[in-house]
Amino acid sequence: MEQWINFAKGPLFALTFMIMVLGLLRLVVIQVYSILTGKGRRLQNAPWRKIFSEAASWVVPVRHLIPGTKIFSTVSYLFHVGVLAVPLFLADHIALWEDFLKINLPELNYGLADFLTLFTIACIFILLGFRIFSPRLRSMSRLSDYALLFAILIPFISGYAAHNPRYNPFPWDAMMLIHLLSAELLFVIIPFTKLAHIVLFFFDRISGLHWQLRPGSGDKVAEALYGKEARV
Amino acid sequence: MNGKAAVPAAVDPTSIPAEKKYPYYIERPVTHNRVERFLEAFAAILKYSDYKPLLDSYCTSSAKCNRCAVACPIFLATGNPRDIPCYRTNLLLETYKRYFTIVGWLKSRLTGGFELTEEIIDDMLDGFYRCTACRRCTRECPMGVDHGLITHLGRYILSLIGIVPKALQVSVREQLEGETHNTSKVPRAALLNTLEFLSEEMEENLGVKMEFPVDRPDRDFVFFCAVSDYLLEPDTLMGNAAVLYASGDWDRWTIGTGNYDGINYGLFYSDWHLERIIKQLVGEVTRLNGRRILIGECGHASRSAHDFVPVFAGGETYPVINFMEYTLDCIRKGKITLDSDIIDKRVTYHDPCNIARSGWIVDQPREIIRTFVKDFVDMKPSGRDNFCCGGGGGLVSVDEIHDFRMSIAGKIKAEQLRQTGAEICIAPCANCKKQLKELVEYYEIPCRVMGLHDLILKAIHIPGGKSPRARKEEAALFETNA
Repeated sequence: MEQWINFAKGPLFALTFMIMVLGLLRLVVIQVYSILTGKGRRLQNAPWRKIFSEAASWVVPVRHLIPGTKIFSTVSYLFHVGVLAVPLFLADHIALWEDFLKINLPELNYGLADFLTLFTIACIFILLGFRIFSPRLRSMSRLSDYALLFAILIPFISGYAAHNPRYNPFPWDAMMLIHLLSAELLFVIIPFTKLAHIVLFFFDRISGLHWQLRPGSGDKVAEALYGKEARV
Repeated sequence: MNGKAAVPAAVDPTSIPAEKKYPYYIERPVTHNRVERFLEAFAAILKYSDYKPLLDSYCTSSAKCNRCAVACPIFLATGNPRDIPCYRTNLLLETYKRYFTIVGWLKSRLTGGFELTEEIIDDMLDGFYRCTACRRCTRECPMGVDHGLITHLGRYILSLIGIVPKALQVSVREQLEGETHNTSKVPRAALLNTLEFLSEEMEENLGVKMEFPVDRPDRDFVFFCAVSDYLLEPDTLMGNAAVLYASGDWDRWTIGTGNYDGINYGLFYSDWHLERIIKQLVGEVTRLNGRRILIGECGHASRSAHDFVPVFAGGETYPVINFMEYTLDCIRKGKITLDSDIIDKRVTYHDPCNIARSGWIVDQPREIIRTFVKDFVDMKPSGRDNFCCGGGGGLVSVDEIHDFRMSIAGKIKAEQLRQTGAEICIAPCANCKKQLKELVEYYEIPCRVMGLHDLILKAIHIPGGKSPRARKEEAALFETNA
């Protein structure tokens, strides 16, 4: 088992992390390339200040707590805090970042990390509850929306159990392996699912740029479909 | 309609109740090969426009969190999942993903999944015209998905296969290919007659003679309003003229008779028409050697000129100013004064989505109003977070869906309006004004809807003319006698 854990912590971690990074990088490169080549000079016309201030308003989205979404949005926001803070700043993870990326991040103390982990798990269950019990939310939810919550839930639960043996009914190494493999599965699926909003968040928000329509395109579209004599 | 294949995978069809349809007239209804033609039009747009990166991004990261639902006045009125902006947007995103991405193509080969059907086209032609394109949902989408832009794109594709409300199509045809070059088919002679009539009215009411400047070259401002204002909103136009006269800028503006319509329905349904109408407008300014474009009280005319003149005008770009910006500037510079003892009724203000959602025109009208209205009350919410009047996105021009605009799209706005207790509602937009006038009648709200400059006309001090107080007394006497 130890060999499996070492494999999962070593080469498999490196491989899956690279898949995530390259996958996300691919999305960014495609976006940047298509925007630069497609929009050209119209980039200057875009309301960049508004775009950035709108994006920034979601960092602490108090203004966006509109009636009908207050609980869901608050939980969702806190979930994002946990989902970012625990993987990045947990002391055990910091060693991994140091080994692979040669970066030193500040570490959360264990008590706070445990609390944040449980808190994130609770948030996931609440979000799941919303998707299951709110008819409005259920009507729009795809299978992947439920599956992704579970995909995030597993590494958090297994990580907590591995870290707190008294709550862990299973062998430590089995739990650790589940933790590593489920986290690595998450790395792999991030670029191919809605979790890609890690990097697409900003590109989704630039509709102010996309309203800078391409001059002459309307004529070309009409001509392609109806010939030069296209009429209204 | 509710066949399983007809609904994108994200939605469980059994969870969606049937809803009443509000069909609109289509000039030549398309009955065959709609799927093929839709995909052909979509492909042409993707080839020649640059919607692709946006669609790619939305397809991947749309979270389906449903926050857009509670921001949408249509969904809030019906509670029907079909009216959730994300549902509607998903119709187009699923189509894009399935037919224009490798992942979608592979998925369809492996698991079947989404197929564009006649029923989905029906869903789109219904859904994209239940949306008022107010973009309130966009502000509340954590991902920033611009459902208004998707509605625009969806309608654009539909228009290319002939699916567009007849009312919009006929108007745009007249504007682009007709003799009058305007949506209301107002000929040049009728325009000149109207201006002469307005001139006489103003002389009688304000006590000064002002002849409207027509086709004067080399002026600072070339004025465009919704052409329907010349027929339906004389007080708004007289208010505009009064500000220009009182500020001493009478010799700085002109109306062109080559093109005098600011309306641009292309904004609502077609990039093709949007660009051609903008070029027509810019052409008139160039012909007159004007320096700036002054847009009257019209939300979408302002937005289309403000946002798209820089995009489509090539080298000849002109600054675009909304009339309320101009009026506020005159007040701040002390060029005009408004009598604060004239308006004694409670007043509220409706923010037209096309100028308020982006934050462009929100504070300016309020600053103007507070200079001469003592009892002003805002709706809640207002400004950038306002609710649409229910006639946005061109819907107000589609008479056959009047019932939809009243009972559904405008329901929340009517409630907001009633809660203010205002006797006057200012709506500085030709479309909003028409919709709100119909709403107050439909819901029997004791409130009069008018433009901001209609109110300014009553309170403005005209140099050498009758005082606002004298005009008010004359009007009261006239009303008593009548």
